[in-house]
Amino acid sequence: MRMITLSDIPARGGSPMTPAMALFMLALATAPFWLPAVGLYQYLGIEVAIWLIFALGFNLLFGYIGLHSFGHGAYLGIGAYAFGLFQQEIMVSLWGGLLAAILAASLAGAVVGAFLSHRRGIYYALMTIGFGQIVWFCAIKLHGVTGGEDGLLGIPRPDLVVGPIRYSLADNYSLYWFVAAILALVVVALWRLVNAPFGRVLQAIRQNETRARFVGYNVWLIKWLTFILSTAFAGLAGGLFSMAQEGAYPDVMSLHQSGLIVMMVLVGGGLVSFWGPVLGVILYFVARDIIGGVTETWLLWFGLMFVIMVITRPEGLAGLLHVVGARLRKKSAPGAVPVRKEA
Amino acid sequence: MIELIPHIVNGLTLGLLFALIALGFTLIVGVMEVINLAHGALFALGAYLAMTTIGGDWFGSSEFGVWWRELPLSTRYALGVVAGPLLAASVGMVLELCLRPTYGKPPLYGLLLTFGAALVIEELIRLIWGTGEQSLAVPRALNGAFFMGGLIFSTYKFFAAGFAIVAIGLVWLFLERTPYGATIKAGAHDSEMVRALGYDLSKLRLLVFGFGAALAALAGVVMAPIWGLRPHIGIDVIIPAFLIIVIGGVGSFWGAVLAALLVGLSVGITGAYAPAWSMLSMYLLLIAIVGFRSRGLLGRKSALEN
Repeated sequence: MRMITLSDIPARGGSPMTPAMALFMLALATAPFWLPAVGLYQYLGIEVAIWLIFALGFNLLFGYIGLHSFGHGAYLGIGAYAFGLFQQEIMVSLWGGLLAAILAASLAGAVVGAFLSHRRGIYYALMTIGFGQIVWFCAIKLHGVTGGEDGLLGIPRPDLVVGPIRYSLADNYSLYWFVAAILALVVVALWRLVNAPFGRVLQAIRQNETRARFVGYNVWLIKWLTFILSTAFAGLAGGLFSMAQEGAYPDVMSLHQSGLIVMMVLVGGGLVSFWGPVLGVILYFVARDIIGGVTETWLLWFGLMFVIMVITRPEGLAGLLHVVGARLRKKSAPGAVPVRKEA
Repeated sequence: MIELIPHIVNGLTLGLLFALIALGFTLIVGVMEVINLAHGALFALGAYLAMTTIGGDWFGSSEFGVWWRELPLSTRYALGVVAGPLLAASVGMVLELCLRPTYGKPPLYGLLLTFGAALVIEELIRLIWGTGEQSLAVPRALNGAFFMGGLIFSTYKFFAAGFAIVAIGLVWLFLERTPYGATIKAGAHDSEMVRALGYDLSKLRLLVFGFGAALAALAGVVMAPIWGLRPHIGIDVIIPAFLIIVIGGVGSFWGAVLAALLVGLSVGITGAYAPAWSMLSMYLLLIAIVGFRSRGLLGRKSALEN
């Protein structure tokens, strides 16, 4: 069977109101009410929401334009440190800190992207590993700035200030609402972006870079901008992450973590669907908590699951759902061509 | 200048060891165009298996176990050096069987599959041998230090570097001077033609992967007394291996050796001035070289670029 890709699932320009979007928003809005009931906890919701921002931004680069970065944890880390340093050195401010996180990460992304954007394929992936390792290494060695391997500790959670309203984010419940609101904005913005002509250009570059250049697109510029955009989202996620953890630690920058985000996006089906990263991130965190509650070697089982997934269904969960859905629709349609059982 | 000599010697030995580490990696990349991210995990697995063989704990208190532990350490060490890579090679072959569905798909899938396999192997090591740091026993003849020109050098490091030179030479001879090597290289160049000539390509790939895994494990056995044994040592290993094939150029044997020596030298010499930052120099070397030569020093065109 031919593998399906993002381009096989038709884009729906215009209104972002689709069933999947409605389901997602519903889950996001009701999570605090049912999370404890199913045996999970509030902080998990925050963690998942933050990683969703990271993963969705990452998939712009990974799934849509097809550039495989294996060092993206670095920009999450830069965002986290920038947020922390802003709180500690300049002033305690939520918007200022988040802005600093986004700017720092996208600035780093702009510099690194300038080195990367005329490459593709394996050399692109290898260069991102190289740069990711440099950032991670500096975070560990620059004790004076980053606190070395211990990380930056005691980062405050600043109050949310909108005009005259001041709202404390100190407890996990209110922080969840804040992160969820940002995630909702990010999802709608990214949805519009990938279904706009820009998203089509990204996919054209993934399918055939040379041809996209012949059509007249400035491929280098678009690759560079996409990299910066994805690092900006990583920075935003990092800022929120340091707020949730009340600290910034170098381990999110390691190759291991950067590999895990690739794994999440791929298992969920980021190559196939906009919603792939969402499924992947949720699967990862739920697996971590549920399998991790049973056995300490949960990564063994998650790794095995991942290996089996790559062997049998490399399009990931979203691809699986798409294939199953397409088959069900065919079956129920009257007069449809009978579907072969195996395929 | 004279005070730099020990650092240069250190750098060169480190470079040879890096070359040994990268050898199996570059073989698999060059022949199969698979980035084997499990290379580091196989490196660790080989070292752990050799350690267990040398210690003989798994034979228990049976007659064989008692007899085994009474053998001289050098005999057990020699057997461990053989057994570790052989066992790791069989794990590598199983991995190749798992990889088969990914052939013909984008190289990303092979890379991801081996990343998952690396996680699994690392967790298995944790499960079997525990998370603590362990050490691999070395025969007394290889231990200790010696003086040369008023400077002190570790005997084992020299043994390891010599071992690396021999291994590099043997692999080169195997690839260049035997019919098997010719088939392997031909398989890398034009797999369809090789199949049309009646060679069993899937068996060839199985053997190449096994061979690459054995080389990874061999490097692990040799490096373990220097770096120590931790379950996550694989990640410390895969990075230099990666850098070396990129700097040297994907698929180039001598490119990898040259790159390994360069990386070793740069780490050794920067170690003289800023020990804490010496590992950073290899990333800077990567960016400096790949920034100017996109295919590395001696690389040729590869399907992995698309």
